[in-house]
Amino acid sequence: MLQINNLHCELEDDSEVKILKGLSLTINAGEVHAIMGPNGSGKSTLSYVLSGRDGYTVTDGSATLEGADLLEMEPEERAAAGLFLAFQYPVEIPGVGNMTFLRTAVNAQRKARGEEELSAGDFLKLVRAKAKELQIDADMLKRPVNVGFSGGEKKRNEILQMAMLEPKMCILDETDSGLDVDAMKLVSDGVNALRDAGRSFLVITHYQRLLNHIKPDVVHIMSEGRIIKTGGPELALEVEENGYADLLAEAAA
Amino acid sequence: MMPRAKLKAQKVEAAGALLAGRELPAGGAWITKARTAAAARVASMGLPSKRDEYWRYTDPRRLTAPAPEAAKLHVTDDEAPLFDGFDRLKLVFVDGVFDAQASDALALPGVEICTLADAARTDLHWARDLFGALEARGQAPVERSLASLNTAHATEGLLIRITATPPKPIALVYRRANLAGDAMVHHVIRVEGGAEATILENGPMAARFNQVTEVDIADGATLHHIRAQGRDHERAGITHLFAKLGAGAQLKSFTLSANGALVRNEAVIWLDGAEGSAHIAGATVGDGAFHHDDTVFVTHGAPRCESRQVFKKVLRHGAVGVFQGKILVDQIAQLTDGYQISQSLLLDEDAQFLAKPELEIYADDVKCSHGSTSGEIDHNQLFYLRARGVPEDRAKMLLVLAFLSEALEEIADPAYADDLRDRLESWFKRRS
Amino acid sequence: MAALDEVQLREGVDRETVETVQSMAGTYKHGWETEIEMEFAPKGLNEDIVRLISEKNKEPEWLLEWRLDAYRRWLSMESPDWAMLNIPEIDYQEQYYYAKPKSMAEKPKSLDDVDPKLLETYAKLGIPLKEQMLLAGVEGADEPRKVAVDAVFDSVSLGTTFQKELAAAGVIFCSISEAVQKHPELVKKYLGSVVPQNDNYFAALNSAVFSDGSFVYIPAGTRCPMELSTYFRINAENTGQFERTLIVAEKGSYVSYLEGCTAPKRDTNQLHAAVVEIVILEDAEVKYSTVQNWFPGDENGKGGIYNFVTKRADCREARAKVMWTQVETGSAITWKYPSCILRGDEAQGEFYSIAIANNWQQADTGTKMVHLGKNTRSRIVSKGISAGHAQNTYRGLVSMHPKASNSRNYTQCDSLLIGDKCGAHTVPYIEVRNASSRVEHEATTSKVDDDQLFYCRSRGMDEEEAVALVVNGFCKEVLQELPMEFAMEAQALVAISLEGSVG
Repeated sequence: MLQINNLHCELEDDSEVKILKGLSLTINAGEVHAIMGPNGSGKSTLSYVLSGRDGYTVTDGSATLEGADLLEMEPEERAAAGLFLAFQYPVEIPGVGNMTFLRTAVNAQRKARGEEELSAGDFLKLVRAKAKELQIDADMLKRPVNVGFSGGEKKRNEILQMAMLEPKMCILDETDSGLDVDAMKLVSDGVNALRDAGRSFLVITHYQRLLNHIKPDVVHIMSEGRIIKTGGPELALEVEENGYADLLAEAAA
Repeated sequence: MMPRAKLKAQKVEAAGALLAGRELPAGGAWITKARTAAAARVASMGLPSKRDEYWRYTDPRRLTAPAPEAAKLHVTDDEAPLFDGFDRLKLVFVDGVFDAQASDALALPGVEICTLADAARTDLHWARDLFGALEARGQAPVERSLASLNTAHATEGLLIRITATPPKPIALVYRRANLAGDAMVHHVIRVEGGAEATILENGPMAARFNQVTEVDIADGATLHHIRAQGRDHERAGITHLFAKLGAGAQLKSFTLSANGALVRNEAVIWLDGAEGSAHIAGATVGDGAFHHDDTVFVTHGAPRCESRQVFKKVLRHGAVGVFQGKILVDQIAQLTDGYQISQSLLLDEDAQFLAKPELEIYADDVKCSHGSTSGEIDHNQLFYLRARGVPEDRAKMLLVLAFLSEALEEIADPAYADDLRDRLESWFKRRS
Repeated sequence: MAALDEVQLREGVDRETVETVQSMAGTYKHGWETEIEMEFAPKGLNEDIVRLISEKNKEPEWLLEWRLDAYRRWLSMESPDWAMLNIPEIDYQEQYYYAKPKSMAEKPKSLDDVDPKLLETYAKLGIPLKEQMLLAGVEGADEPRKVAVDAVFDSVSLGTTFQKELAAAGVIFCSISEAVQKHPELVKKYLGSVVPQNDNYFAALNSAVFSDGSFVYIPAGTRCPMELSTYFRINAENTGQFERTLIVAEKGSYVSYLEGCTAPKRDTNQLHAAVVEIVILEDAEVKYSTVQNWFPGDENGKGGIYNFVTKRADCREARAKVMWTQVETGSAITWKYPSCILRGDEAQGEFYSIAIANNWQQADTGTKMVHLGKNTRSRIVSKGISAGHAQNTYRGLVSMHPKASNSRNYTQCDSLLIGDKCGAHTVPYIEVRNASSRVEHEATTSKVDDDQLFYCRSRGMDEEEAVALVVNGFCKEVLQELPMEFAMEAQALVAISLEGSVG
């Protein structure tokens, strides 16, 4: 599904700041991978580079989604190709209704893939059903995108978008940040409901707790712009127990 | 710097030259009195000059020149004219002259309408206390001599008295036939106590135009005013809306402007009675050599009134947007709630936004605020939309429409707002 | 010049100030007059007076020509009328343009030679500032920070303290008349380079007749070892004060400059038209703080200073930075717009202002932020307070030129009204001529919050104390930008200025 090979990147404004320094990662269809690591290890940057945000220059390496070169695509092309980033800090867009936003996005992607656009009626039915599962009320759908949403509401809105857009490769960037236990459960249930053999996930998180809800197949530890260790779910528990220090020391040795 | 006395002399001289040999239009006693007084105002104030503080950001020379510059007629595409889908009383002006043939009959329940030309022939008319009177009041503290010029010389317009809420809106539709028409139109609208009416205005008036609309909204009455200016991109024009509101009266005026070589819309509003409410809003899109100026002056002259000024401009390819707005709160206008926002979205490096948003406050128990911003499209919002698969052009358009929506939301009836929104969307699609 | 006898003077000040503060009851603190024999030039303004001033200061020919040029330009100019000020007609021929204590006819060799009455004046004025700290109970007040002081009395600079220490650091801090003698090349290079003679009516007048003021030069890479301070005092009747300040900060230097102003109580109005020019080169930073407490006139609007001031900083090179902080509580009329020309790329300008107008005062004050360089930043925080019958206007310009790409401005402009006979006005000009720059302007006007007042009073404060406390809270964002000693003086001033405004 997602193949990242020896990826290097630096800040566009300051080529002295290297963030990814040879990151490699392969995620097969249907797998859930987690990336953990201390602050500043480059986790969020990875999600931005994959989704095509401005401000970073890729200096080496590659990233492909089902064989297609992600790095060559515009952000919307990546989305149409099936990549989805659930943002750590979803942006507020005053004046754009949540429904308008969702419908525009769904139909733009369908159009890009050569599919029929959803009719207003079908769209409405679909969005109501999905929203109900995530306990998103009608009022939230009417309000402008993320404007005045609580932290939990914003994250649930991200998952609702994921459910509507049905991407192949989902990246969740610190989705647990700012969530209380109940909200985390709700969001995790939403994600778990989307797990299937054709869909992969990359869960970026600082803490192990989210991984109690979204069980990963593979856990990677990231530091200084690289994967320094890969293992099973037990690796996350090890971090929870002992912190990152031992792992970092081990990698440095 | 030119000495002040010399500047004044130049302005007066320019007015003299423009009006030399120009007789006041013939008419009955009441209108002749109003026209004579207005002509005297023009003579003493002179014509506006770029050196006037009030014309700091807009050069009035195209408006004061002896003859208008020709302005091509925009080739109408297959799009139906705005508001065509609404049931309305349609009143048509061609090059600023009322066209009875093209118009509906001047009859609507609850409404008295007569043309200025007809009224001018009478010796007495209900409009005598309003015609030129609100314009004259609007000459202080800032001079607006082009409005006086209009009062003195306009022969076209409608006098509309609304005594009871009419069943449908009154639509003033402007059309052009002449390439270099020079129109002066003067409307008077009085809404009697408790009545509620909607006035729609759209279409190209003339290559150059000078419009005055005097509005008197009695206690407890409501007027909705929705106006669209567009299509003829080379037009030069100034409009003046003078409105006074009685106790509990409401005014909602919205203007959509697309392009225009030089367009200045002035609104002068007096909240004379307690608990009045005035919302003046505008959405402007400019693409190319375009200069649009919104100049708004709201006076709170009574307690517990509310006013809002909401102006949004989207500009590119050398377009210039101007906003001059003022909230003046008199000493007696306690518990005033005044709000003013002016924002521009500059889509490329050639666009300009020039603003002077003022507060002048003499009462202490008030809540007044204003905000003004200028900048480009928010990159984070754009990225968010694109990351959800919305193509860049479409994402930009969504953000532009979202930006304009705060102004469109000032229109009470969403049906009109939707019509305007669709119009804006196709405008952007054509131009992207 | 010998150093001022610090300890003695300070002791005198402490006692005096404590007494003054104790006796303050809603009256102007600095309203006494010093009885000193003065030497005046004849009343009125003409070319001969300009020549006389130049001659008294033993100026070179070029400076005399410069002054005469300014005078001739001034003759053809008009007093500005665009401010929201009701300025009575000023008879410029009824003013004295030069006044000097007789005892200063021979320039004193050291401060010991200065007329003791003058020193007493400065003691009363609260120089240095230690007593503020003592009164406020600040710890460590026994060892105050060193502040070098230049004092200008009517038209003449009286002498500058801490000369030796400053000289060791290469810093020049002296009166501008002394600088003309000792550093003519610097004065010639920079005088008028930020505020040209014909910049405006009052700047032209100042250029023609300025008699003294301060000169500061900070060499490249130097952090000025202490804060520099000038106290201005108008004493003589019917005398205009026209001081001129010139500050030059070479590459990578830093200085913090404080300015305080007072004048005696008089029934007649006095004219003050000053010019401050600041030149800031690459990576240099200048902080300029003012507490302006000229006599505002009495509670009936009689008397007071007409304060027409042109202040401008030119951030000429990359990353130059200027910060203006002003607390304007005095003057009958204030016309003042400290400005920032952000010429160098990444230059920064900041303006923090508190303007209080009470009784019949009129203030029209604000700033100009002119963005010329790329990535320039500016920030404006203005707090206006109106009480009594006063009119208080914020007037500001933010201009983004076409080449000033990626620049930012943020403006916050708040007005507070106390009573229903005063006015609070906001007149911003926003001119954006490039798309990548972002400008944000916010302004609010409201009255003193009744709930806050009630809360304070229910805790035992009287109404005036409560108002002073709430107003100080309203001003906090600006007060915290002032150097510490000044902040305390300013806080006290806020309270004093508003006395009599409630009830």
